[in-house]
Amino acid sequence: MNEVTAFWILAAISVIGALVAVRKRNLVHGVFALLVFFAGLAGLFLLLLAEFIAVVQILVYAGAVGILILFAIMLTDRVTGKDAFRVTSRGSFWGAIIALAVFLVILLPTIREIPLIENATPKDMIVEQSSVKELGTKLIEPYIVTIEVLALLLTAALIGAVTAAQGGRASEKGENTE
Amino acid sequence: MTLALHHYLILAAVLFCIGLLGAFSRRNAVVVLFSVEIMLNAANLNFIAFWRFGTNPELLHGPLFTLFTIAVAAAEVAVGLALVIAVYRHFRSVDLESLDTLKEE
Repeated sequence: MNEVTAFWILAAISVIGALVAVRKRNLVHGVFALLVFFAGLAGLFLLLLAEFIAVVQILVYAGAVGILILFAIMLTDRVTGKDAFRVTSRGSFWGAIIALAVFLVILLPTIREIPLIENATPKDMIVEQSSVKELGTKLIEPYIVTIEVLALLLTAALIGAVTAAQGGRASEKGENTE
Repeated sequence: MTLALHHYLILAAVLFCIGLLGAFSRRNAVVVLFSVEIMLNAANLNFIAFWRFGTNPELLHGPLFTLFTIAVAAAEVAVGLALVIAVYRHFRSVDLESLDTLKEE
C-alpha cells in the first residue's frame, strides 16, 4: 500500500469520524466517533513521520480526553442515549452558513497557492538517529522555561478543575439542610 | 499522483470547519467542547504538515509546538469539563440555550 492510498483512507476515517461526532444525536456514540477521529489523525501524523506526536495523540486524546468526556457525559446526562428533544440550537442554520464561509475563506488562498507549494517536497529525514531523542534534546535546550510554565499550567488546571467541579457541593448541602 | 502540502492543508480546513459547524450548531455543552477539540486537532495537523514540507525539518519546530498545543488542550478539556459539571449542578441541564440568566427579559 503506497503513501497516497494510506492518506486517502486515513483522511476519510478522520473526516467521517469528525462528522459523526458532531452530528450524532446519541452523545456516547458521538464520543466513540470522536475516538475514531483521533485515531485517524494519529495515523496521519505517522504518515508525516511525526511518530512521537502520533503516540502522544493516542495517549492523550484517545486515552485521557476521550475517557474524561465520557465521564462528563455520564455525570451530566443520564445515559439514556436520548439527547434533548431538539439537538441543534436556534441559530444552527446561520451557524452552518458561517462555517461554510470560513471554510471557503481558508480554502481559497490555499487553492490559489497550489502552484507555489506543489513542488515543495518533503526532505529525506536522517533515519539513523531516532527523532524522539532529537525531540528530547530540543525540548530541553531552548524551551526549558516553556516546559516549566507548561508544568505549572497543568498543575493549576488540575487544581482548578477539581475546585470548579466540587464548588457546588457545599452550597448544595446547605440548601438541603435548610 | 504524489502527496503534496495542499492535500494536508485542505484536509485540515475540512476538519476545522466540521468542528466549527459542531460548535455553532449544537446545544449540548459537551458536544461544543469536543467540537473545539476537533478544531485544535486540525490546527495540529497543519503544524505537522508545514514542518514536514518546510525548509528546516531538522529544527523540529512543528512537533515541539504541537506538543505544547496538546498539553494546553488537555488542560483546557479538564477545566472545561469541570465547568460543565459545575453548570449542570446549578442549572440541572447542559443545554446551552437554557443558560440565559444573564439575558435581560
